Amino acid sequence: MADTIARDRSLTARHVGGVYGRALVAQIRAITEYPADFWVMASAGVMWNLLQFAFLTVLFATVPDVAGWSYHEMLLLSGLLSVAAGSTALLCDGVWSTGQMVLKGEIDYRMTRPAPVVVQVATTHIGMQGFGEVAFGLVMAVYGWIGAGLGLAAAPVGVLALVCAVVIECALVTAFCAVNFWIKGPMSNFAFMLIDLQNSAMTMPLGLFPSGVRIVTMFVVPVAFVNFVPVAVLTGHLSGWWLVGTPLAALAALLAAVGVFRLGLRSYDSAGH
Amino acid sequence: MPILEARSLTKTFRRPDKASGFKGAVKHLAQRKYKNYTAVDGIDLSIDAGESVAYVGPNGAGKSTTVKLLTGILKPTEGTVRVMGRDPHTERIANAHDIGVLFGQRTQLWWDLPVEESLKLLKHMYGVSDADYKARIAKFDELLDLGEFMPALARTLSLGQRMRADLACALIHAPKMVYLDEPTIGLDISVKDRLRAFLREMVNDGTTLLLTSHDLADIEEVCERIIVIDKGAVAYDGPITELKAHYITTKAVNLYLEDAVDVPALAEKFPEFTWAAGEAPSEVTVTYESARFSTAEVLGSLTAQLAPRDLSLSEPSIEDVIRRLYAGELTR
Repeated sequence: MADTIARDRSLTARHVGGVYGRALVAQIRAITEYPADFWVMASAGVMWNLLQFAFLTVLFATVPDVAGWSYHEMLLLSGLLSVAAGSTALLCDGVWSTGQMVLKGEIDYRMTRPAPVVVQVATTHIGMQGFGEVAFGLVMAVYGWIGAGLGLAAAPVGVLALVCAVVIECALVTAFCAVNFWIKGPMSNFAFMLIDLQNSAMTMPLGLFPSGVRIVTMFVVPVAFVNFVPVAVLTGHLSGWWLVGTPLAALAALLAAVGVFRLGLRSYDSAGH
Repeated sequence: MPILEARSLTKTFRRPDKASGFKGAVKHLAQRKYKNYTAVDGIDLSIDAGESVAYVGPNGAGKSTTVKLLTGILKPTEGTVRVMGRDPHTERIANAHDIGVLFGQRTQLWWDLPVEESLKLLKHMYGVSDADYKARIAKFDELLDLGEFMPALARTLSLGQRMRADLACALIHAPKMVYLDEPTIGLDISVKDRLRAFLREMVNDGTTLLLTSHDLADIEEVCERIIVIDKGAVAYDGPITELKAHYITTKAVNLYLEDAVDVPALAEKFPEFTWAAGEAPSEVTVTYESARFSTAEVLGSLTAQLAPRDLSLSEPSIEDVIRRLYAGELTR
């Protein structure tokens, strides 16, 4: 065998990163095949966030604050969630097809290639609405940031919060979609419930909700660390110590996603016996 | 030294045991019952490096499940598999470098990407060097005419083009062991011929091949050994030539006479042969045991006594033998 490159039979982070990056870049190139789809979907991503923006603007025209949170703080909260949710569409949208792939036996080929199956599934396609969600989410977040009086000094915390938010969101969506290895069906209903929970509860200050919701969203399914906790720390609603929890939550969510997906693969029995 | 060894390979699936209809579905929700279904039942396999093996059987015999067990996609319920000394399921990544897989009913091409892009993604995934990639693509192009559709999106390919592209994907890393599950399904005869020629060349180059196909011409043209599987168990394992020699014991002559044939009268006149009416009233097929009579002897006797207008010779194909093996008429 004349091959010389990567004959190392174990996976290295560089190799996995390369596979992931190339697949994603190839998908972005594929988007150019559908320019109309791109603009329609990206606009849809903007529209949803525009509605959220309009809702907050109308709400704060009548009330000065919500549970002690100002208009700009709430914009920052919604903006960060939008960026995280939009990033999942850009970085791992393929995981939404896990159920369909399991039903149709489309995991088969992916198990015969020297790359993690989860990486191959995640990069199957890109959700074009993510471009609009991320773009408008960033606009809301930056506008909220400036309006909340956060200066450049807090930028490193903002970047850490953003990175962790993306990691947590991608990991949780992946883990919830992987439930379809056991609950056979084409739709990722558990992941839809997760998104629903975030859109309902995480665009508002957690203080509005009963303690049970706070405990679940912080320590069971740590969606609070996607946007609420970092924004609360940045705006002084929570002590700085809480920020330590954000990378920890990201790590825990990542490990959980990989673990659940691996367990799912063990129970995978293909299709057509 | 075997490149692939399977011992007592068994795969059992759990299937819901429920009555049909809405009532059955509701009852199953409350009272869940399952049945075990054994798709592969204690198969032993040993394939040496460089062998080309056909793995055939009727629908539902367990062929695809065996391939999935051998490639590491499925974990055996019982038994072991070793491919180059490795367990393909637990050592999936290492195994993946040495195997190439094609499932004819599915594609591994990225649906919205050009074929070339899919091949490049696989090149990177397998760590194929630029020089090897170029050399292999040139060879695939020569034998499979890949060039004409390399820039095309996978979703725009015809079935034949898609299959050729998938074959290139399965072989881009020059695997030592190749599994092809129905590689010619749905293809027209010219593409089949091209694929078979390619597979023959691949085997001549020393690649080990396990081929499952319902098209027995694939098997006869590409493989030397055949394993017949039925109801999850091996019904025959041996060289194709031996299968033919062992089981093809009769030959047949088709006679075209001037007038309508009276088959019972001929059967009475020539009791040593088996007679069957042909498609036309003046046609008849005579079957004789090749060990007892030479073809010249049979032809001499029949032409002298029946003066046929025309005749043709036919030999039972391997397809007939395998059909009889499936039907349980033949055992080894």
